[in-house]
Amino acid sequence: MNDLFMIVDGTAKGMFSKMTRHRMPGALPFGAKYRLIDFTLSNCRNSGIRNVAIFPYGNYRSLADHIGSGDRWDLNRRRDGIFILPPKNLSLTIENAISFQRMYEHIEHFRRSTQSYVIVSPANIVWNVDYNVFLDHHQKAEADITEILGPKRKRLKTFIVSKDFLLAYVKKYNQISYRNLADVFDYAPGIKRNLYTYENMCYLIDEPKQYYRANRRLLEYDVRRQLFVKDRPILSKETMSAPARYGDDAYVINSVIASGAYIEGNVENSVIGRKVHVAKEAVVRDSVVMNQSVIEQGAAVSYAVLDKESHVTEHATVSGHSDELFIAEKRQIVTTGNHLNVLQITAECFPFVKTGGMADVVGSLAEQLSKIGVHSEVMMPLYPAIKEKYHLLLKERAMQKITYGDETYPVTLHVYDDKITNYYFLESYAFFDRDDKIYGYGDDGDRFAFFSKAAVAFLDAVDEMPDIIHIHDWHMGLVPLLLKRQDMNKNISTLLTIHNIEYQGIHESIIAERLQIADEIPVGGTMNFLELGINHADKISTVSETYRDELKYEYYSKNLMDAINRRDRDFYGILNGLSQDVDPKDDLDIQSPYDQKDVFEKKPLNKHDLQTRMNIKTGDDMFVIGMVTRIAEQKGFDIIIPALREFLSDEHTEFVLLGTGDDDYVRKLKTLEDLYPDRVALNIGYDATKPTYIYAGADVFLMPSRYEPCGIGQMIALRYGTIPIVRQTGGLNDTIEHFNVTTRRGNGFKFYNYDVESLRFQLENTKKIFDNHGDAWKQLISNAMRSRFSFETTTKAYHDLYNVIVAE
Amino acid sequence: MKKNVIAMILVGGKGTRLKELTKDTAKPAVSFGAKYRLIDFTLSNISNSDIDTVGVVTQYEPYNLMHYIGSGNSWDLDVVEGGIHFLTPFSKKGSMKWQRGTAHAIRQYFNFITEYNADYVLILSGDHVYKMDYNAMLSSHCEHNADLTVATTRVKKEEAHRFGIFNMDEEGFARSFKEKPSKPNSTLASMGIYLFNVDVLKNLLLEICGEDDVDFGKNVIPAAIDNAYKVHLHVFGDYWRDVGTVDSLFYANMDMLDHPELLNLNQSKDKPVYSRSYNLPPHLVGDEATIRHSVIADGADIQGNVWRSTVGYETVIESGATIKDSVIFPNVRIGSDVLLKRVIVNRNVVIPDGFKLEAKRPTLIDVGDVGRGDSDE
Repeated sequence: MNDLFMIVDGTAKGMFSKMTRHRMPGALPFGAKYRLIDFTLSNCRNSGIRNVAIFPYGNYRSLADHIGSGDRWDLNRRRDGIFILPPKNLSLTIENAISFQRMYEHIEHFRRSTQSYVIVSPANIVWNVDYNVFLDHHQKAEADITEILGPKRKRLKTFIVSKDFLLAYVKKYNQISYRNLADVFDYAPGIKRNLYTYENMCYLIDEPKQYYRANRRLLEYDVRRQLFVKDRPILSKETMSAPARYGDDAYVINSVIASGAYIEGNVENSVIGRKVHVAKEAVVRDSVVMNQSVIEQGAAVSYAVLDKESHVTEHATVSGHSDELFIAEKRQIVTTGNHLNVLQITAECFPFVKTGGMADVVGSLAEQLSKIGVHSEVMMPLYPAIKEKYHLLLKERAMQKITYGDETYPVTLHVYDDKITNYYFLESYAFFDRDDKIYGYGDDGDRFAFFSKAAVAFLDAVDEMPDIIHIHDWHMGLVPLLLKRQDMNKNISTLLTIHNIEYQGIHESIIAERLQIADEIPVGGTMNFLELGINHADKISTVSETYRDELKYEYYSKNLMDAINRRDRDFYGILNGLSQDVDPKDDLDIQSPYDQKDVFEKKPLNKHDLQTRMNIKTGDDMFVIGMVTRIAEQKGFDIIIPALREFLSDEHTEFVLLGTGDDDYVRKLKTLEDLYPDRVALNIGYDATKPTYIYAGADVFLMPSRYEPCGIGQMIALRYGTIPIVRQTGGLNDTIEHFNVTTRRGNGFKFYNYDVESLRFQLENTKKIFDNHGDAWKQLISNAMRSRFSFETTTKAYHDLYNVIVAE
Repeated sequence: MKKNVIAMILVGGKGTRLKELTKDTAKPAVSFGAKYRLIDFTLSNISNSDIDTVGVVTQYEPYNLMHYIGSGNSWDLDVVEGGIHFLTPFSKKGSMKWQRGTAHAIRQYFNFITEYNADYVLILSGDHVYKMDYNAMLSSHCEHNADLTVATTRVKKEEAHRFGIFNMDEEGFARSFKEKPSKPNSTLASMGIYLFNVDVLKNLLLEICGEDDVDFGKNVIPAAIDNAYKVHLHVFGDYWRDVGTVDSLFYANMDMLDHPELLNLNQSKDKPVYSRSYNLPPHLVGDEATIRHSVIADGADIQGNVWRSTVGYETVIESGATIKDSVIFPNVRIGSDVLLKRVIVNRNVVIPDGFKLEAKRPTLIDVGDVGRGDSDE
């Protein structure tokens, strides 16, 4: 009997995207026949631990199913055993590591546990270890907290502490600024820290590339020897399958094959799961294929991760490469060869008209899709500004009379072909021949309802009947419903992308009558365009993984929480990328263009330029905080202003901001300027110059948004080697990895709680590293500049999703 | 608790014709098809026929088999009331009741049958390779209002002399029966699978047959026909093999390789064959390996060439080795540049580098022939 109990941290979602849509990372199949959590549970069993609690996030059905009574790991006990402790507070969103708050919800479990030490370790880590070795090390060091690091000092989110030490933090979780043991290890004063470095094969798997690499390493004899030890077996749920069968023409080398597989074709350098069928003449190379997938005759798969039960059809080609794996989600039918036609219907699209980030996404996507061989088209209203600028290039294609309410209106379809992508514009004098602004009229509801109807009516006039209609935000929310009602039998699928759920298009329900869809609207005064889109689109997406998850909670999705949760299975998160054109090397608006090689030499010059331009104190040792932002509640100004008021009392801090917005916040910001006139500079209002001099000159970029669907400022800052300090929400969470001084990993700083104290704490922590750890700061800048969030990746993700939709 | 049907599996036979394969293990514990043991087929059939009470009558080297079956959970047979019971022979005061034959074993354990108050007793053998739904046999038994039913199969005329042969009348009842007839007048062979009404079995075993009538084939079935019991013959049309010899074990393995549809082991939805899982990692295929027309179990490490063969779990085949038309049992180590054809390699055997044997007829290689590695359990 030993004196250790285990907390399995299953709260982190990782960055898996598709692979963890319906399961937590710990439940991911691994190494042909295991699931990731088998390693942690087997280590418990082999270390004699008999009290194991798993804290899962969200969807843990597949995990519970896998674990069963726990008897496979000798954990089906009368005393102690295995416990699954789900979150009680459903408004707690996902964090990167188990928080004291989560533990507090089940504090009874801690009180009841009789062991005096606890090991906290994630569910998604692959290793074969005896935890008692860590405990011995902890006891010998007489430490308060021991952190286990992997090879190359990689953090493994694994800690050993005494139960009493842990409980002290858990009990006062709401009074302290440490959310988890990593925070305590990094920041808590007056405790004795101990590090243990584990040098054997060990992977904390939190994204697909890691997952792939760890699987591939199983082909190495040395790795297998470290992982599959006879006295310490890795145990998995008992399932029954026949031994693997090889056909007459099978050709298999350097691969791991699970039982039940049936190999008739070629398999090289791959990990093949249970009951996978590789048919004749099919080729699987450098891939990980999970259980029950089928690779049909003549198909070719390389550098791919195929999730369970995926199906690659005859002669289809699936090829990723080592940097960019192809990933099929569970049960996906993978085909190639059918040429996709995608029509985006939108209210705005760059370069024609733009009021916000959505126009950039639509425009870049249209262009990039064409580049990868999709027949890409866009349809939008013909605003007067577009007609003025492009009238020589527009060709009239068709005209129709569209009935709306009791009236009939003429509509003309214009086409602009830039040789890559087709752009269609619908011209209606009644609804779109207005002043220069494109929204903000009393009849916006009617305008976009009418447009949606016209767009559907003109589908026959476009070059290629689309396979997919991709609509954006509330404006086109009625298209899926109208398409269904038209019953054209055209087999068009729809994808709705939500760029910001705050804008829903709530209008009077008389509009539904005008469109003759009143029977679809609940009785009452209004109709919600976005909600109708959510209900009727075939698939829904939003602009980051984390925002997608957050929308399950009322705090973020408000009135649409139920509608979103009903469509959970069809709801995807795809991060917007940043165009390759954003590059400090090619930026002629900054004082000294630079790249990764000369950043440490040139950035100080840009900093000096910024300080001079903004008329604040110059000096390298000043800690310059920059912001380029809309000045609005969403962006965090309720916590920014009080936190800065305190933080700026430090003489070596400066703050510059460029933006427009809410007068109330502007007034409060001005008091900061009054308070510290030589260190605070505001550039309020429309500025004709590009704001990149702030990105180039500041040390850190502040973006503590209350919510942020995707965010672009932090990505620009990263490219310029300016360190983002962000709140852990939406796209900010997906792009920023918290920097750790010990391991020197991470590209910025983030904090979880939306309050003044947490922001101030993180500002101080950042400045401490800036002041005292010059080398670490340089490493951080390099990490930031190496972060890649390209729009090519985004386009590929949308393309994959289109293929999923078409295959269904 | 009342049970409709209970099954009795007879595994007592020493299986001397399997030679060294059974020197320290009961015949039903012999390996088959890379990861199975013979008993898996019968236990899986029982489980798939929703029978949950099983007596396993053991005698010869029972430890391996008992250890393998354990609580029966791998076959879903670890139920609270019923489940698997091991019935080992015992001697009563004053008499030496070592089991002498198949029927004798059942007679000794008749109180096991009465305890469950069963209506029917299904007598099975532990060393047959087949997939069968015993409920079909039971339905046929009930439809014919039979006293006992014997499962039969058609065999080749030239092989009929090796089996117990029935003559069947138009209504499907046995007219006569002869064990291993020198001049068989039919090709309908007994499979050694019997379904009795419990009172009929009791009467036959305890009243009609004497102390020395110890065998179902030799004594009990003829006695039933002689005493005018209604002996129904259930004709089973699918694949079935009694693998009592090295040859038949070898050819049954080859059948499984050449005609996967016969046992359909790779599909798991309908009537899967269960087996104890040993928690082994998936098998590894090296850079120079070729594997064709074969089945490979978990934990194997294949660096050489494997053609038309079965390779058991944790078996290692070194580079340059070539295995053709062979049956390699678990935990075997085959050295580099070995050449083997038409052999069965027993558990734990180590074949030294460069060893060559291309046999004309199926040939068993055992420890005594080459050498021994670490024991696997």
